[in-house]
Amino acid sequence: MKIRKPDLFQIITYPAVIIVFAIFISMLITFLIRSLPAFDMYGFNLYAKNVWIATENPDNEKYGILAAIWGSIYTSVIAVGIALPLSVGYSIFVIDYAPKKVKNLLIILSDVMAGLPTIIYGVWAVFFLVPALKDNIMTPLYDTFSFIPLFSQPSISGFSIMSAGTLLGIMVTPFASAIIRESYQMIPFKYKEAAFSLGLTRYETAKLLFGYIKPAVYSGMILAFGRAIGETVAVSLVVGNAFNLTANMLAPGYTISSLIANQFGNAFIYGHMTSVLYASGLFLFVIGLAVNLLGIYMLRRWRKNVEI
Amino acid sequence: MKSLEYAIETRRLNISYGDDRVIKDVDMKIPKKTVFALMGPSGCGKSTMLRAFNRILELNKDAKVSGEIRLFGENIYGPGVDPTEVRKETGMVFQYPNPFPHLTVFENVAIGLRLNKLVKSRDELEDRVHWALEKAALLEEVRDRLKNYPSELSGGQKQRLVIARALAMKPKILLMDEPTANIDPIGTRKIEELLFELKREYTIVLVTHSPAQAARVSNHVGFLYLGELIEVGKTGKIFESPGSELTEKYLTGELI
Amino acid sequence: MWKYDTRKIKEKLFLIAVAALTILAVFPLFHIVFTVFYEGIGTIMATGPTFITGTLGEGGIGPAIVGTLMLTLLSSIIGIPIALAVGIYAYEYPNSRIGKITTTLLQIMLEFPTILVGLFVMQLIVIPTGSYSVIAGALALAIIMMPYVAVYTAESMSQIPFTFREAAFGLGVNRAKSVFMIIAPIAKRGILTGLLISTAKVAGETAPLLFTAGGLYQSYPHSLTEPVGSISLLIYTLVQSPSAADHQMAWGAALVLMVIFLTVFIPIRMSLKEVKL
Repeated sequence: MKIRKPDLFQIITYPAVIIVFAIFISMLITFLIRSLPAFDMYGFNLYAKNVWIATENPDNEKYGILAAIWGSIYTSVIAVGIALPLSVGYSIFVIDYAPKKVKNLLIILSDVMAGLPTIIYGVWAVFFLVPALKDNIMTPLYDTFSFIPLFSQPSISGFSIMSAGTLLGIMVTPFASAIIRESYQMIPFKYKEAAFSLGLTRYETAKLLFGYIKPAVYSGMILAFGRAIGETVAVSLVVGNAFNLTANMLAPGYTISSLIANQFGNAFIYGHMTSVLYASGLFLFVIGLAVNLLGIYMLRRWRKNVEI
Repeated sequence: MKSLEYAIETRRLNISYGDDRVIKDVDMKIPKKTVFALMGPSGCGKSTMLRAFNRILELNKDAKVSGEIRLFGENIYGPGVDPTEVRKETGMVFQYPNPFPHLTVFENVAIGLRLNKLVKSRDELEDRVHWALEKAALLEEVRDRLKNYPSELSGGQKQRLVIARALAMKPKILLMDEPTANIDPIGTRKIEELLFELKREYTIVLVTHSPAQAARVSNHVGFLYLGELIEVGKTGKIFESPGSELTEKYLTGELI
Repeated sequence: MWKYDTRKIKEKLFLIAVAALTILAVFPLFHIVFTVFYEGIGTIMATGPTFITGTLGEGGIGPAIVGTLMLTLLSSIIGIPIALAVGIYAYEYPNSRIGKITTTLLQIMLEFPTILVGLFVMQLIVIPTGSYSVIAGALALAIIMMPYVAVYTAESMSQIPFTFREAAFGLGVNRAKSVFMIIAPIAKRGILTGLLISTAKVAGETAPLLFTAGGLYQSYPHSLTEPVGSISLLIYTLVQSPSAADHQMAWGAALVLMVIFLTVFIPIRMSLKEVKL
């Protein structure tokens, strides 16, 4: 019997794995390095204050992206708020009620929605969703509920946090649906059997089983949040692009991603803006990383427990 | 008998999955050019031990092997031994016939030869494939279907195709894990007849859950129970007068 | 006899609620497809074939279409080989330390904000070379495509029954040949589907191209080191313009993009049983 030869498999695959790691780490380092000048200049106020003064004289420039951070979070929360009932309802219908052909159709439709180019969502939103929301939801809301801080000022154009949040909700629902649907399907049949044999109705059974997959639903929402917060083009077309730090969701606002998309083109004119935008990107990077890790971790841990 | 006279010999063989010890201190000798039946109730570890003989067990990361297994005198678990080389000397047949679904009948038999570069020309390859199919008593039935896919074959034919795939490599030992467990009775009989032919040239280790099959087909038999080798010896003797009470219970169907 | 059962009523209401939510979840797709078609077909009909072949000055999006093709092709060439290798690695070593980190890393990169990838490539290539280029855009798209292809590949291969693994290794074939030449080909349908879906997805991306590709619509691209446009990027630019004519073009371009996407995506998706996005 001969001696072990070098493993050809590793020779082929290791370089590829190294490349992937290298890309990720270089991205992180790039953002860190390019953000340093901004941190040097503004310190933590960069994230904590809402101010955007871009002038020719670098000494007079002042930046604080709090409004964009607020907007990113606000719109993503609205998105999750919309995605939660939609994806849960969809998953229950698809798995418990839909006959096989309808089920396949619905799943394909959801997948198509998940893959559809986001710019198409954006165009549709600009010319249809925003006006529709403004006339049918935002104006009535202001008329009736303006005493609530959430709706304190009317919307002029319709481009607002609410529009962005709604669009994001529509866009991330297919993504959340896939996760929840899969988890719901994974529930061992014996639990469903047990529930039905106890004489529970479908409604009661679904309620019971959803208690079982609660961690998966949380993970789904967390991951959807991560998805929403990273979305750029569609959001930048409808969020209004204004540095508003307000609870009023009818007002225009900003998100980190749209801030970068809008301002980066002319950032080189100003002394510090580029670095500030990289620092914004870094913030997005870190949030995205943290949220995704959390969601993945929760999902994996739940899956391990379910397999028993 | 000196160790070179045995095809397979295990010394103090222990196999565990994690903390679970499934083969306990087994010393077993399998003579050359015979059909050696490894029998025992399900879960006794026979499939596991079979997979240790060609080190395919390592595909399962939890499995730990200690002790020696000697193939024709050489310890295959010695330091520096390449499991890939071990597997070229042994051929394996599985419980569910598993010809590669995406390869034709011909390619299935040829693949091992091709990837291991064991033949030098297209002609040699064709000769070897025909030879292997004939040895597996399948050539007549597939002679004009060599370019077809295994899905068109019956269960018994698929299994003989798997045997041909193994034989093409000209191994010295054939390891068979309950090869007829999922084959119809006629196919089973054909394969058992094939074993009678093959044992003249090959050492065959046959894991079986059916004592009746062991009685029909084997010359030697080993009885495993819960990981321990209870009894081993010539088939005739063990079946007529088993040394151990456990063996007797198993043979009469009291142990499952 | 009129029997009154609250549980039965709840049951009915539940069904209605769940069905309604499902319709709400899926209906936007129909509305979008309809609207894009309705708004876009007018522009395309009015301009005729020039819409597809002409440059922007001629009222067409030809350069954008070619740009999309060039970018998608180049990013596939760059990204797919690496992604296949990583995916197969993740399949073969799911439990080793590096294997687990790799899988996690791939999952993270799946949902990474695409605009950040664009910024990274901008810093890496556009700034040192001083120009937007096809290569920069393609590299950004490749980075986005890689995790998708890798995950699809690993998933497809892990669905292959273990017995084929045993059979392949049992023939004394080494790991590289067993995995690449026996096991992977068994999974080729799933892998191919993953490739096509990932390519379709990347063809529609906009954000990563914002600061890498640059945009080129008045003439056709003919060099890898010069700026290039894409249908998605063009739409983004047109929508933000104040001119109504530009908006009309945007709808037309959106229709073209949508048709390309649907005709590639739907047949592929229907040929596969389970897909994860």
